[in-house]
Amino acid sequence: MPAYEFALMLRAMPKPELKTALKRISHAIFDRGGIIRNIENLGFRSMPYKTSAHGLVHREANYVVFKVDTAALSVTDLKEEYSRDVDIIRQRVFRVQDDFEHSCTLEEELLPPAYREEVQKMIEIGKTQVNRFTYKFKYNSGLDYYPFQK
Amino acid sequence: MSLLRTFLKRQIFANTHRVTVSTTRFASELKPDEDAPVEIENPFKKERRECILCKLNITPDYKNYRLLSQFQSPYTGRIYGRHITGLCKSKQEKVETEIKKAQNCGYMPYYYKDKAFLKDPKLFDPENPIRSHRF
Repeated sequence: MPAYEFALMLRAMPKPELKTALKRISHAIFDRGGIIRNIENLGFRSMPYKTSAHGLVHREANYVVFKVDTAALSVTDLKEEYSRDVDIIRQRVFRVQDDFEHSCTLEEELLPPAYREEVQKMIEIGKTQVNRFTYKFKYNSGLDYYPFQK
Repeated sequence: MSLLRTFLKRQIFANTHRVTVSTTRFASELKPDEDAPVEIENPFKKERRECILCKLNITPDYKNYRLLSQFQSPYTGRIYGRHITGLCKSKQEKVETEIKKAQNCGYMPYYYKDKAFLKDPKLFDPENPIRSHRF
C-alpha cells in the first residue's frame, strides 16, 4: 500500500520530452530514498479550466499519478522541487488512506426523527438548556418593586 | 338449467367439506402437538435498505471522476445533498471530499458538469428528494 499519491499535470509536449520529464520526476523521488509503487497515466486531455503556470497559459495537460512510498519529510522537499519544474503545471499530494470497514447506516438515517439517535441526543441536550419560551427573569432583590429606572 | 346444476354441485362440495373438517378436528384432539403455534421469524420483516455505493461496495476515488460527476448538478456543478443522492452519511462525506479533490487536481470542472458525462445514467432524481428541499 503506497503512502502518498502525487497527482501531477504535465504540460503538452512531444513524447520524447515527456519521457525525459517523467524520468526527471521519478529520479527526484529515488534520490530522496523513495520507492515508486505505481505510475498511472490518465492520458492527455483538455483541462476543465485554463491554468497559468510559469508564465504560460495551459488549456491541455498530461495527467499522471505517481504512487510513492517516501519519508514524510522528503514530501515537502519534492513539492518544492516540482514547483520549480517548468514542465509541471500543477501538483497535488494526497495521503492514501486504508479502506475502513463500515456498515451502511442508511436504514437508521431514514427512520422518523424521534427514533433517530442523533435527534434523541439533541433532545437530551435541549433538556439541560434554559427554555427561552417559559423562562422568566427573577430580580432576587427582596423588594416588591424595581428600584431603578426602567 | 346449467346454473342449477352448478349450484347443486357447490352444495355437495360444501357438504363434503364440512364432513372432512369435522373428521380432522377429531384427529387433532388425539395429537395436540401438531397444531401448537410454531416460533418463526417475522415473515413480514422488511429487508434492510442500503445506499447504492454500499450495496455495490464502491469506495469513491478522486481519479474516478466519471462516477463522481454523477453526484454533480449539470446546471451549476454543485454537489447534490444527502437528501437527493440517498447515500449514507459516511459515503456522502467521502463523495464530497473526493469531488473537491478531483476539482482541485483539474480532473473535474467546478461550475458545470463535463459535457461527455451528461448522458450518463441517473442514480437519483433531484426532483424527488427523500426529504423536502428547503427551496
